[in-house]
Amino acid sequence: MNRHSIVNQRLFARRTARILCATLVTTFFSWAGGLPVLLACGEEPLHSESSIGLNDVTEGSLLFKTNEAGRYIPAPILKTDVQISVTGTIARTKLHQEFVNPSLKKDDWAEGIYVFPLPETAAVDHLRMKVGERTIEGQIKERAEAKKVYDQAKQEGKRASLVEQGRPNVFTTSVANIAPGDRVTVEIEYQETVRYDQGTYSFRFPMVVGPRYIPGTPVVMEDQPRAYGWSLDTDRVADASRITPPVQHPDHGPINPVTLTIDLAAGFPLGKVESPYHDILVIAEPDGRRHITLRADHVPANRDFALLWQPAPGKAPVATVFTEQQGDGFYAFLMLSPPALSDQQATSQPREAIFVIDTSGSMAGTSIEQAKAALLLALTRLGTQDRFNIIQFNSITKMLFSQPMPVDTGTLRKAVHYVEQLKANGGTEILPALKMALMGQAPSTHLRQVIFLTDGQVGNEDELFGVIRDQLRASRLFTIGIGSAPNSHFMRKAAEFGRGTFTHIGSTSEVKAQMDSIFRKLERPVLTNLVVEGLDETAETFPAKVPDLYDGEPVVVALMSKTLPARLTIRGSIGASPWTTVIALKDDPSRDGLSVNWARRKIDSIMNQQEFGQDESSTRQAVLDVALAHHLVSKYTSLVVVDREPIRPTDRSLITHAMKVNLPEGQDYQAIFGLPRTATSGQLQIFFGLTLLVLTGLLWAYRTRVA
Amino acid sequence: MSRFQPTSRSFVALVVSLFAIGLWQVGEGMWIYAKAGLAQLLLRRAWSRTLEGEAAVKPWPWADTWPVARLTVPARRIDLIVLNGAYGRSLAFGPGYLESSALPGSTGTTILTGHRDTHFAFLELIQTGERFMLQSRGGRTRSYRVIDRRVIDSRTGRIRLNREQPSLVLVTCYPFRVPIPGGPLRWIVTAEAEDHA
Repeated sequence: MNRHSIVNQRLFARRTARILCATLVTTFFSWAGGLPVLLACGEEPLHSESSIGLNDVTEGSLLFKTNEAGRYIPAPILKTDVQISVTGTIARTKLHQEFVNPSLKKDDWAEGIYVFPLPETAAVDHLRMKVGERTIEGQIKERAEAKKVYDQAKQEGKRASLVEQGRPNVFTTSVANIAPGDRVTVEIEYQETVRYDQGTYSFRFPMVVGPRYIPGTPVVMEDQPRAYGWSLDTDRVADASRITPPVQHPDHGPINPVTLTIDLAAGFPLGKVESPYHDILVIAEPDGRRHITLRADHVPANRDFALLWQPAPGKAPVATVFTEQQGDGFYAFLMLSPPALSDQQATSQPREAIFVIDTSGSMAGTSIEQAKAALLLALTRLGTQDRFNIIQFNSITKMLFSQPMPVDTGTLRKAVHYVEQLKANGGTEILPALKMALMGQAPSTHLRQVIFLTDGQVGNEDELFGVIRDQLRASRLFTIGIGSAPNSHFMRKAAEFGRGTFTHIGSTSEVKAQMDSIFRKLERPVLTNLVVEGLDETAETFPAKVPDLYDGEPVVVALMSKTLPARLTIRGSIGASPWTTVIALKDDPSRDGLSVNWARRKIDSIMNQQEFGQDESSTRQAVLDVALAHHLVSKYTSLVVVDREPIRPTDRSLITHAMKVNLPEGQDYQAIFGLPRTATSGQLQIFFGLTLLVLTGLLWAYRTRVA
Repeated sequence: MSRFQPTSRSFVALVVSLFAIGLWQVGEGMWIYAKAGLAQLLLRRAWSRTLEGEAAVKPWPWADTWPVARLTVPARRIDLIVLNGAYGRSLAFGPGYLESSALPGSTGTTILTGHRDTHFAFLELIQTGERFMLQSRGGRTRSYRVIDRRVIDSRTGRIRLNREQPSLVLVTCYPFRVPIPGGPLRWIVTAEAEDHA
């Protein structure tokens, strides 16, 4: 019987004409045959073996195979110590990675290669190698040159280490010639900007490169050209091997212990300080700083560390400038913080909200459900003074109303009905939708906000950025990423060009919290049309245009200038009335790291221009100029450090170990491979339908008999 | 009888609506199978154009995928056009090629996924030693022999990606012949290229 049904199923592909009747037969047979299996399928899998042919897993976590058959040596052991010092909004981190070669055999010289994550905004500017009591300072070099220096030192038997950047947030440390029983410590310094949102400051110290960071997973080899002109993909996949560290099998226990201390000088009286994922100890210093350590001695590097802190409640918007003189330039860091508005005293500037929702095929499934839930929630938050419209796009673009409508029962009801009926189908023609959304003009009393819900699976990013830049005018573009893997690069940049923000909604359960937070912001613009005055023409700021200031999120501008004026004037408007503040600059004590912060922003912006078609070589030169001057690791530069004297006799071989990493906490392999579900609901639907038809027949027979 | 008379209007309405829902569900369900079959016919044409050298031939104008390989199992008279990308959408029309795995026909592990109740239903009966043929876009056909079949739990299992050896991994849901979709188990059939020493 079962065989019968399978044969039938096989025929579908070829004999379309017989599909319908075959299906009916199959369904009944398979329902009958499948039921016992269904009952059993909640239990453990038949083969409890969880991996296929993974030899390295069965060999034990610390043993690595060498080129010589049958010979194993232990891999280096890695320990990490982290010291973070927070000054205002800049967090500077010292990361010590200690590589120990545990082998006692004379010939076991090791090279350790460790792939690790750093925050996306991290700027690595120092590398030191510690051997015994000696510390050797690293040099910044062009990437290829640094690699050459490292390789040469490796050949000559000298201790050496190299820090390279694979992605903005994925770095690699290589340490060559670790003698048996010896230890080499690599010290990396980097800094990042602290995040601020809804009155809470936070930073995150990522501890493990999750498989999810890799937008291509590690299969296609470098000598395999990717077809179909997906040149972006080629770049992505080409270095996959360098950013995909081997994963420690969970059964073998966690590795890579981490110790962590934080010196927190927030610069204002502190409210709550907390870490959501790790237990911490917080000790207050007399001057208001906090000394923070992990409650446990050390933790495995398998989940990100995060620290959140809040200031004591404030009243007015605060503008702060930190400055630093470095070389012949001045660097400044301008920060505008919104006042801590309570819910009641919300400023209510009328808005014209244009919602754009992606209903293309790639949104099918939970993505479209999330998008619809988000959109419905957004509609309920509109006020009577607002105007709105909805645009949906797939292969074609459709608009709910021919022009934005005021919010009343009628229009809202129509909109809700419209959204509920949306279905994901067809291609992704984003351009006409974007143009249509940016086309209109709101009355001068209204703030025009375009809210774009999509998974961003598009290829023509450059063209879209161009359209946003040229046609934005008074509108602001807010992108909301939907689904577990949206193209967040596209959406983040689009929001930046659109002078708005990007929000990611990863699961249906997040919809409400995330939408609430973005709409609380959108409903409460604090300052709009911001301009910084008083700078001369040598000044360069990032972002070039100051974004609007919303409740719950500060505006941060990095600035470099040959000369610095005594004061800066910042103009903007609160609703329709003008707002001005003047900040004196010279009085501030100098702060460290502002030049590094500026340089990192500058590099980002240069890399960004490349997406507008600027050719690779000029991008490269521009990045090199900044990175070399500021000691920064980038896509084109690496830090390298080499010891003076060779220590490994050149007749001894060196064995390279890719350091294993833990599987991120809570991450599963299904997500890694992202394989879709491979069963349809066809059988279920047909069975359900047939059951109903039979029921109908019985009921009708009953009626006829009674009648 | 009570207020719910078998002869009453509401009873008739109930029967009619049940009938309608029944028809609708059967229709939707059968549409899934019809799509799976019909799409393969359209894909044939796109595939022959691909073999003539056209890149990324869309089988229909609004498609967001295109054929990348042709999988045949001569002994079982299976002949399927494989689509680019393993997304829920494209799987309705044909097996999907996981873009992160090696290109079909190249050195390395190629991963294909398909629905267990349409295109990849035949995998249930596949035995070790059976032969698959995979034609890549260049027109070259490579033959693979099944070396392993097993069930893994998608929450913990992983697929070994071999870089030196051309191999083919076919993935579908497990168990077969269960009407309820979903569930964590996957059926993995691994085949190795025969012509590769």
